[in-house]
Amino acid sequence: MGKTRFGFVALLIVMVALFMVPIGAQAKTLYVGGTQSLTGAFAEDSAAVLAGIQDYVRYVNETKMMAPWRKEKFPADITLEVLWRDDELKPAKALSIYEELKAKGMLVARISGSPIALALKDRLWEDQMGATSMASGSYLMTPPQSIFTYYPIYTDSCAAIADWFKASWKESRKPRVAYLTADNAMGKSLEIPAMRAYLDKIGYEFVGTQYVPLIATSPPTTQLTWLKQKGVDLALGVMINPGSQPTVKEMVRLGMGPFQPYKMTFGVALPGHAAVFAEAMGKLGDGYVCAGSFRPLDDLATPGIKFCDDLQKKYHPDKRVTHIMYEGGMLEAMVQVEALRLALEKAPYEKLTPKVVLEQGFYRIKNLNTGDISSTPLTYGKGDIEGVDEIRIDQVRNGKSVKVGLAPVHGIY
Amino acid sequence: MALYSGTFHENYAQDMAVFPTKLHWGLLIIFLILLFTCPLFFSDRILTILTMIGITIISVHGLNILVGYCGQISMGHAGFMAVGGYTSAILYAKLSFPFWAALPCGALAAGIAGLFFGLPSLKIKGFYLIMATIAAHFIIIWAIIQLYGLTGGADGLSVPRPRIGAIMLGTKTNYFYLVMVLACLATLIAHNIVRTRAGRAFIAIRDNDLAAEVMGISLWSYKLQAFFIGCVFAGVAGALLVHYISFASTDQFPFMDSVWYLGMLIVGGMGSTGGAIFGVVALKLLDELVTVIGPILSAAVAPQAAASVAIMSHGLIIIIFLIFEPRGLYHRWEMIKNYFRLWPFSHQE
Repeated sequence: MGKTRFGFVALLIVMVALFMVPIGAQAKTLYVGGTQSLTGAFAEDSAAVLAGIQDYVRYVNETKMMAPWRKEKFPADITLEVLWRDDELKPAKALSIYEELKAKGMLVARISGSPIALALKDRLWEDQMGATSMASGSYLMTPPQSIFTYYPIYTDSCAAIADWFKASWKESRKPRVAYLTADNAMGKSLEIPAMRAYLDKIGYEFVGTQYVPLIATSPPTTQLTWLKQKGVDLALGVMINPGSQPTVKEMVRLGMGPFQPYKMTFGVALPGHAAVFAEAMGKLGDGYVCAGSFRPLDDLATPGIKFCDDLQKKYHPDKRVTHIMYEGGMLEAMVQVEALRLALEKAPYEKLTPKVVLEQGFYRIKNLNTGDISSTPLTYGKGDIEGVDEIRIDQVRNGKSVKVGLAPVHGIY
Repeated sequence: MALYSGTFHENYAQDMAVFPTKLHWGLLIIFLILLFTCPLFFSDRILTILTMIGITIISVHGLNILVGYCGQISMGHAGFMAVGGYTSAILYAKLSFPFWAALPCGALAAGIAGLFFGLPSLKIKGFYLIMATIAAHFIIIWAIIQLYGLTGGADGLSVPRPRIGAIMLGTKTNYFYLVMVLACLATLIAHNIVRTRAGRAFIAIRDNDLAAEVMGISLWSYKLQAFFIGCVFAGVAGALLVHYISFASTDQFPFMDSVWYLGMLIVGGMGSTGGAIFGVVALKLLDELVTVIGPILSAAVAPQAAASVAIMSHGLIIIIFLIFEPRGLYHRWEMIKNYFRLWPFSHQE
């Protein structure tokens, strides 16, 4: 009886104390993050992105700094919190998650994959909600709305590979190019008339398209043999590593590749991560090209990568995230937090709305120094959703990812 | 239908009525009032969830007619939804059809696709029919992607917000009303179809197709009718989904959805209209629960603990129902109702 009475009194005191806290003293919180695809093909990427976002937010909350190389500070009286839900890469589920997070007061959003981007882009635009995106298809440009990318759109990445390959082409005939791409929205986003027109313009002979499952369940022997029979010199695609690694293994088995008897170069846009590929494949993957790739996580001479490394050492030294999309998460968090910071310069916390954050935040991001994690500093504006100006091209050589070129963004959509 | 103690049917009309007593009518009216006043109480998020539940109920009613009543197992339901969705989207967005015309055209197109892909059911059944309907799904998705000029291919197709005359249906509240009206209509139609000559033929075919044929039931005709009707429902659901999201993309109709729709029927109770509703509501709410719990689980256990929890929990629930309650939630509901029918004098045998 005594314990019950004591418990009741304690509860009463806590309740009174809570009510006595003046409203002004309550913490001001802004949310970052958004929908994640922790289930499905992009699970590994998404988990790394989420870890990057969480670490960056923790860093900003603790230090109020935006990055070690930046002087700007995040407002001291505002705390950031990461809000996320697993959308399983299902558009309908992402829709209800978006509504939930919006209702909770989230002022920025994120896109976890092409299916989600296609489903949400018009809705985000209607709500004037700015979003960062892990997907980067040409569909984001038709027309450019409020989804911002931190690496080039897939068509631009593949165009950069085509430029780079053409520059070293020695034969008098036109090089033959084909698409060897994932059989989902991301992979097929390459198949737009503007991409074909660009390849024709710079002197390629287009041969055709072959699809590989997003996560290859059997070696794509038929597709590769078809490319060989058609005499293809360059195969372009948009794939993730679970698709590209088995494909290249089969290429090597069939004697195809830049250093194999049948000379053919295979190049993919960013989700194919050259660094991840090189680590998994070693010298077997020599010749594989990836455009828009992030730097390897062991490239500690790069300030951004050093920053990633420091945060991991500080916050979870025993559970290091080794997937390169950790850098993607850092970039997304940097962009979202920068948009919020810039918006707070123009409007007080109480007046912040998604529209204010879009117009006074995202649109005002100019030359955001990401510590060289992204190919170039990020610049956004109304109608300018593709953050980078140049595309880094990497190739696997001697089992390592090596930078082989930098190509301009053409804006192919 | 089991009636409450002391209630008796006195004529055939009463016996056949969907809502035979004043109590049933009263409960229906209360339910409808509660349903249609939801937008007054609930947030956009809840309305979105309810709208998605409504759309899925329409689709699963179709699958229930096909699988639950006629015994023709289809794993291509999401593909048929895609046919309805894309047809409606193309007619509305590209050919400027009014929404009220585009939606039934989408349903009709899905029905015709169902007729076509239902043809193998005349020769094959069981496992082989499952394979044929899986093929139907992939053929439909492949065709949509190849018709780039018409469908937008892999890029998808942007669809303007629907309107009927001056009524803008793009708002969440208006669309919720539209979906709920159609879901109620679909439920009524599905329930009544089963009570028709065709419905009885479906059940006869499901129970024993040879015996049904011997009794004079045309398997050819009724199996195709089941495919047509089931796919019309799928078409309506697909069209509603596409117009709700304002975008048509093949990724909105993944193959796994067809599997989950079957799972919903198993959980709810195959072969009953109420079962379809119970199954959809149960699995959709479970889905939402898992989504909300995910981040908490992730923070408490491990960062990746939330990954695939939804799929695993769905699978687990389906297994549990298959083992412990294969007749589904609706059967449980009927048992509870029967218990209270004789209450306070009910007893357990």
